Amino acid sequence: MKYDVVIIGGGMAGLMSSIYMAEQGFKTAVVSKGDPVCSISTGCIDVAGDFTGIPENHPYGRAGEDKIRLSLDYFKKLMEKEGLPYIGEFLQNRFIYTSIASRRATSMVPLSMAEAHEAKKGSIHIISFKGMKDFFPGYFKGEENNQNISIFDAGSKTTIGIATSFDDLTFREKFFNWIGDQTIDADVIAVPAVLGTKNPQAIIDEIEKISGKKIFEIPTLPPSMPGLRLFRTLKRAASQRGVDLFWGNAISDYTEEKGQIQSLIIDQPGRPTIVESRSFILATGSFVSGGLFAEKTSVRETVFDLNVSIPEGEQRLNDSFFDPGHPLGRAGIAVDEKYKPVNSIMKNLFIGGSILENSQIMKYQCGHGMAIVTGLESAKSCEEYLK
Amino acid sequence: MITTDVIIIGGGATGTGIARDLALRGIDHCLLEKKDFAAGATGACHGLLHSGGRYAVNDPEAAKECISENQILRKIGKKCVEFTEGLFVRLPGDRLQYRDNFLESCRKTGISTEIYSASKALELVPNLNQSLEEAVKVPDCSIDPFRLCMLNAESSEMRGGKILIHHKVIEIIKEKGICVGVRAEEQFSGEIKEIRGKLIVNASGAWGSQVAKMSGSDVPMTLSKGSLVIANHRMTNMVINRLRPSSNGDIIVPNETVSLAGTTSITVNDPDNLSISPEEISLISREASQMVPEFDSVRLIRSYTGVRPLLKNTSDSGDDRAISRGFKIIDHKNGMFSIMGGKLTTYRLMAEKMTDRIMEEFGINVPCTTAEKPLDGQDQLSGYPVSNRIEKLDDIICECELVRRSDVEKVIDKVGTKFIGDIQHRTRLGMGPCQGGFCTYRALGMMQEQGKVSDSESIRVLKEFLDRRYRGIRPVLWGDQMREEQLIEGIYLGILGLAEK
Ligand SMILES: Cc1cc2nc3c(=O)[nH]c(=O)nc-3n(C[C@H](O)[C@H](O)[C@H](O)COP(=O)(O)OP(=O)(O)OC[C@H]3O[C@@H](n4cnc5c(N)ncnc54)[C@H](O)[C@@H]3O)c2cc1C
Ligand SMILES: Cc1cc2nc3c(=O)[nH]c(=O)nc-3n(C[C@H](O)[C@H](O)[C@H](O)COP(=O)(O)OP(=O)(O)OC[C@H]3O[C@@H](n4cnc5c(N)ncnc54)[C@H](O)[C@@H]3O)c2cc1C
Repeated sequence: MKYDVVIIGGGMAGLMSSIYMAEQGFKTAVVSKGDPVCSISTGCIDVAGDFTGIPENHPYGRAGEDKIRLSLDYFKKLMEKEGLPYIGEFLQNRFIYTSIASRRATSMVPLSMAEAHEAKKGSIHIISFKGMKDFFPGYFKGEENNQNISIFDAGSKTTIGIATSFDDLTFREKFFNWIGDQTIDADVIAVPAVLGTKNPQAIIDEIEKISGKKIFEIPTLPPSMPGLRLFRTLKRAASQRGVDLFWGNAISDYTEEKGQIQSLIIDQPGRPTIVESRSFILATGSFVSGGLFAEKTSVRETVFDLNVSIPEGEQRLNDSFFDPGHPLGRAGIAVDEKYKPVNSIMKNLFIGGSILENSQIMKYQCGHGMAIVTGLESAKSCEEYLK
Repeated sequence: MITTDVIIIGGGATGTGIARDLALRGIDHCLLEKKDFAAGATGACHGLLHSGGRYAVNDPEAAKECISENQILRKIGKKCVEFTEGLFVRLPGDRLQYRDNFLESCRKTGISTEIYSASKALELVPNLNQSLEEAVKVPDCSIDPFRLCMLNAESSEMRGGKILIHHKVIEIIKEKGICVGVRAEEQFSGEIKEIRGKLIVNASGAWGSQVAKMSGSDVPMTLSKGSLVIANHRMTNMVINRLRPSSNGDIIVPNETVSLAGTTSITVNDPDNLSISPEEISLISREASQMVPEFDSVRLIRSYTGVRPLLKNTSDSGDDRAISRGFKIIDHKNGMFSIMGGKLTTYRLMAEKMTDRIMEEFGINVPCTTAEKPLDGQDQLSGYPVSNRIEKLDDIICECELVRRSDVEKVIDKVGTKFIGDIQHRTRLGMGPCQGGFCTYRALGMMQEQGKVSDSESIRVLKEFLDRRYRGIRPVLWGDQMREEQLIEGIYLGILGLAEK
């Protein structure tokens, strides 16, 4: 069987591309070596820390404001449809709380974090779980040490373990009864994001009913439930739209003819799978996901060995850990206005997501936002090509 | 104000060793260390408990001291010395003449050797360079310098010794030309404490001349920086040396779950301002990979650097007594002694000689027993192999090094610390491949739970830790470590929003 489009990399960019292409009626597949960064993220969509400060050569510069807006709307409608609604607008900061009790700006958040935006640190009641490994309410104590904290014994200490318990109705009952017994004076309740592996709205509603207080989730360090919820929802959405998913194995090779990639060879134990397609979108991410690989002095693209542009003549890394604009963060694939790699003969290859050059995700705080935008935009170019 | 008999400046192996010796001989003392134990060369060293083999040819006196101390420490410090043994490997091109010299010198200095054919050596250490000619086995060991200092300090504290870490000596108080005490600044609160004593021992290593200056004395020294890299797993179970005259990058030491390789030797001026160049890293990797080829492609998780104080040979600096070729005790004739040089391996001997001198000064005659009595506090350590630590997996807080929550809680409770480094040194938390990327957040959270730090303090501590961590990792950021680093960057700058605006 031959696909119309095969997307390499199942992250925010790749999954959004695949959903879009499948909705346009193309026979679509995603090949992904593993789970993406999205699955360990806060689940919130950073679009831009300061949009006006983003340079022309950033992928956003190519897309332009209108297309960014359109892409984000598309994402929001999709999440609404898929039962994990997000709120927030492009160019408006929304605040969430981090697990070190700082307030952090982002753009779009799942409903379970909506109440964090207005909450004042001094008037939050923290509910946490006994012995939990990746959430420490101590960070919320405040200088006056007046933070209210209640600890529930969930019988499990890991994020995933506790969240899985919340999927169970009798466990929930026990928890609700316990909440009913707590004295909560603060204006609002915050809880580490473990309220179930799926959309926690029903649990949140119930707690609000019992306590009479608003409640919000705080994303934890990886593994992170809101990130996992987002990733699983997108993956399921792709699958329900007929996208074939090849998960868990890397691409070992590809075939090419007259400037057209013909097929990918997926490295599978025993028997390699060959996936043929008319077009391809590369969305394998940056270093962290293995789309790029840093050699001592150069950077490699790992699937097609595409030309990677890296800043020359500069040191690769900044002196301070807290200065997020590492020159190395600019490394990536340079593309033309159609998201085709420049300096490459491949006519049916498009590029999206954090593998693009000059993305500097941490500096511009544009992680998922840029992945959504360039994922959809590269898909639209591919659509044009296929028509 | 604290009043005592002996004030020790420096909490490295030498300083803590002296504290233990004084304690065992019943002399009241107070040790001041500006950071944590082993913050200087002791913690930045290779962790090799020398058999003496390395020095046998060129410096037989030092070699004799090493083998004798090696045997003593194996006996008194079972939980901080791992008896790995070591191989000196001879590669094609390494001269046979040196090997013959080496064997003869080892015989003369009492270092046991065993000659292994290439195939026998490869059986023992399969990832050695396949083309090696032969190898010589010696009783080299791997030693944990942090634990060593801790245990020495414990022996002192148990007997009433005062050990003040995170106290920086900023002034030496003199009356009528004689040193009578020091002022020290507590590093977290800035509080100044005065400590009075009858004698001061300057055991501050590379900072020795700075400290001596405070008393108006001079310790002329040159500083030589040595850098090392840490590979992400235990590549060999034995120490690997090159069988040739010692040179850069020719030792690999297994240390718990990781391997250390180095070192270099470069003259520097300031012991507080050290950097590691890419050339040093390549040099170490290149040399180490000649002995263990895998080293060329292994994932390096961090680099670090330490400073050796090299004493300038001056005969005019008064009554310096060259006790051995390895170290020196200088009597400044103003109530202060400086003890400098030597090796980690010979720290106990240095402490013994220093304490003998102090006893002489006080006119008391109590013999040294540090070579016979085991280090105190070892019953609390799990010892070797590392797998001893896996009793209960569900409460593991640091997945890389298998550190349990209860271990960390114990340290926080006992040391009452506000520094992540203190926990790391005592539990090995954060010393593995992710270099504290995941567990530091947890350790700080636990400190807050126990009320040791406030939340704003803990963000400061967290940032200091991340900064220090990054400086060690930056020189080795490529390949898989770059990948891990982007993840850590995503966690702290992304998820936790700690980026500078
Ligand atoms: C720890 C962390 C937390 C973050 N948190 C946030 C956040 O809260 N909000 C936010 O907006 N942004 C966040 N970011 C940034 C954001 O997650 C990313 O920039 C964005 O999601 C990247 O998406 P992507 O689709 O380009 O790539 P990725 O998510 O990296 O996905 C790439 C995929 O390609 C696959 N792949 C790689 N190589 C191959 C191959 N050879 N064959 C097949 N498949 C391959 C990988 O397995 C992976 O699944 C965070 C980043 C990090 C590191
Ligand atoms: C790169 C390298 C590798 C080495 N490898 C080995 C090896 O494998 N085996 C071996 O046996 N030896 C080795 N050595 C030698 C060994 O590390 C040192 O000889 C030994 O650790 C010295 O210990 P010390 O206590 O004298 O000094 P240090 O450990 O340097 O201690 C001095 C202490 O004084 C403190 N201090 C300084 N100023 C003040 C102040 N004003 N107030 C309070 N405290 C102060 C410092 O913080 C420091 O902790 C190596 C050395 C280097 C540099």
